[in-house]
Amino acid sequence: MMSKKYLALLALVMLAAVALVGCGGGEEQASGDAAQESDVIKIGVFEPLTGINAAGGEMSLEGIELANKLYPEVLGKKVELVTADNKSEKQEAANAVERLVNENVDVILGSYGSSLSMAGGPIAADAGVPVIGDSPTNPLVTKGNDYYYRVCFIDPFQGNVMAKYAVETLGAKTAAIVQDVQQDYSVGLSKYFEDSFKELTGDENAIIAKVNYNTGDKDFSAQLTEVKSKQPDVIFAPGNFTECGILVEKARELGIEAPILGGDTWEAEEFLNRVGDLNDIYFSTHFTAEEPVTEVSNTFLNKFKEEYPDRQVNAFAALGFDAYMLALDAINRAGTTDHEAIKEAIAETADFQGATGFITLDENGDATKTAIIKKVEDGKFVYESKVDPK
Amino acid sequence: MDNRKSIKTALTIAFLLVAVAALYWGDNNLSRFQLRILNLAAIFVILGASMNLVIGFSGMFSLGHAGFMCVGAYTAAILTMSPESKELIYYMEPIIPLLANVQWPVIPATLMAGVVAGIFGVLVGFPALRLRDDYLAIATLGFAEIIRIIVTNTISITNGALGLKNIPSEKSLLFYWGFGILTILVLKALINSSWGYAFKAIRDNEIAAEAMGISVFKHKMLSFSIGAFFAGIAGALMAYLITSIDPTMFRFLFTFQIVLIVVLGGMGSLTGSVIAGVVITIAMEWLRFVEQPMSLMGMDIPGIPGMRMVIFSLLLLIVVLFYRQGLMGTREFNWDWVLDKLGIAKSKEREVS
Repeated sequence: MMSKKYLALLALVMLAAVALVGCGGGEEQASGDAAQESDVIKIGVFEPLTGINAAGGEMSLEGIELANKLYPEVLGKKVELVTADNKSEKQEAANAVERLVNENVDVILGSYGSSLSMAGGPIAADAGVPVIGDSPTNPLVTKGNDYYYRVCFIDPFQGNVMAKYAVETLGAKTAAIVQDVQQDYSVGLSKYFEDSFKELTGDENAIIAKVNYNTGDKDFSAQLTEVKSKQPDVIFAPGNFTECGILVEKARELGIEAPILGGDTWEAEEFLNRVGDLNDIYFSTHFTAEEPVTEVSNTFLNKFKEEYPDRQVNAFAALGFDAYMLALDAINRAGTTDHEAIKEAIAETADFQGATGFITLDENGDATKTAIIKKVEDGKFVYESKVDPK
Repeated sequence: MDNRKSIKTALTIAFLLVAVAALYWGDNNLSRFQLRILNLAAIFVILGASMNLVIGFSGMFSLGHAGFMCVGAYTAAILTMSPESKELIYYMEPIIPLLANVQWPVIPATLMAGVVAGIFGVLVGFPALRLRDDYLAIATLGFAEIIRIIVTNTISITNGALGLKNIPSEKSLLFYWGFGILTILVLKALINSSWGYAFKAIRDNEIAAEAMGISVFKHKMLSFSIGAFFAGIAGALMAYLITSIDPTMFRFLFTFQIVLIVVLGGMGSLTGSVIAGVVITIAMEWLRFVEQPMSLMGMDIPGIPGMRMVIFSLLLLIVVLFYRQGLMGTREFNWDWVLDKLGIAKSKEREVS
């Protein structure tokens, strides 16, 4: 009994000692790096590499690393990537950004997942370190935060694009919305789709059905039966590819013939595996390999195929690539690693040539750029058209 | 004996003074990163200790903590956000007029967060506490999810899935640990009161306790809603620490993180919860280095995300296999122990009891 007690005590002391040593070690390292700051420029990356958003975070990081391999230097100094996993959790995202700030990074890139970005944003702003978001599309990420910029378009724009496509190309007069109430992304897109759809058709009652489901649902028959009974011209169903895959498959099974529209999250292998042989499925996205928008798109494509020959090119890698490129470009234009100067340089970005298109940042720090519309055809994602910002 | 009692009181007061001085020193001398981790540790200490009250001291296997935390976080956030940021953030549906212009100072809002969470505790406890053991766990888990779903769907109050941001930020160690120490003192006093003895009696044998004249339901309710109250406080602190919240933060997985602290520290030991809360939070951050690429004996090991979770799980496994009681079992730190040892070995004073 006694020895067990001592063992417990010993374990405790060891744990405490280890923790203390850890803190001390970290500090030393940080100050050591500060001393040799002159020959390395550090770019911090916070992405969800574990947890529920891991797949997206992984793709984004691949894009960033790709860009880093292609362009490893700026201002004659080596660029060092410092990555921190945010575990797909908000408190971890806040810790991760604080850690990057602590390691004296000059710019931070990230994160896949708007809520994670929102957790990290204020910390970077407090420390005066500019952040370039690769794929957080929630408008709140940059609103009221002068240090947060992004290379992707935002939810309102995506909603508008799909509404425009539905009305002008598909000739729809009525629409039904199926949204995931638990996803900020889904709710945001639906809202803006609804607003523009009503405006474009000039009909206040153009949205004839709006039904909800929750993340993780597997049975959508109740929602789809209601949608079917209203006979809409198109169905807008933004959301996770997992749920939407089942939803779209089920809709066709129930005999709903109307085109089904979605957002950029649909561009995933898992989605394709489910709905590959179905027709009239359209979604908006950031990037296409078939219709390279800029010269940089080609550079990115070639490098991607060289590094990952057996993988499909995806939009998140392209956005990660662009975030890194923009950071480098801004540091170049600023000509210094002064954070304030870099921030100003990022804010002034206009017609920046990225892999996903020409990027111009507006007064909120959001990118206005071309959106791509793709459709599902014969088990593949096929380029359909592109929509330029107004 | 009386002499010893006065020494103990003096020691407690001295300890508190030293703690306040240390926190004050920390506020001025530690880096922002260290402050953030320590503040997060304080939140987990409150969560662990309050859940220990319910699970460890009262024997109710409840898994609803994340839900009460969610209530607390939202109450505090809505009460403290400025009217301008509310206008900016509620862009889908405007906030209901009743709440649009409220802006409370931080401390009353935090207490209110606790009270509202406590009220939810009573509401949930009323039906759920008629159940025992696994059934109670399932019911409370369900209620916690219900709370989260309600929060997701009442868009004109909580802004739904979009979440809230621009919550006033608090950075001071004194603030978070002040609440942490107060929580421990209150819980300690509660556990050593007649109520506390009743809780433990119910935990050890419910039927015997009832036969002795203890109102089982009343005491369970008391313990459960006090647990919910402190979970609400912790939720509020979490909102100030991260400054943005959304419903997905409070999934039931979060509850398991707290259960982990309770089990590792020892069910029925506040001291254990304090130690485990601090150690787990710090270790989780410190273990990040294993995910960085490194070279070991001339071998280059690429960074593997998730490695720290593996190491952490191994540590857990060892603790659970060899110290099933957790670090402290049901033992508590107390000054008697220190005083006893004082003659023989050097004192190892730490943690409040």
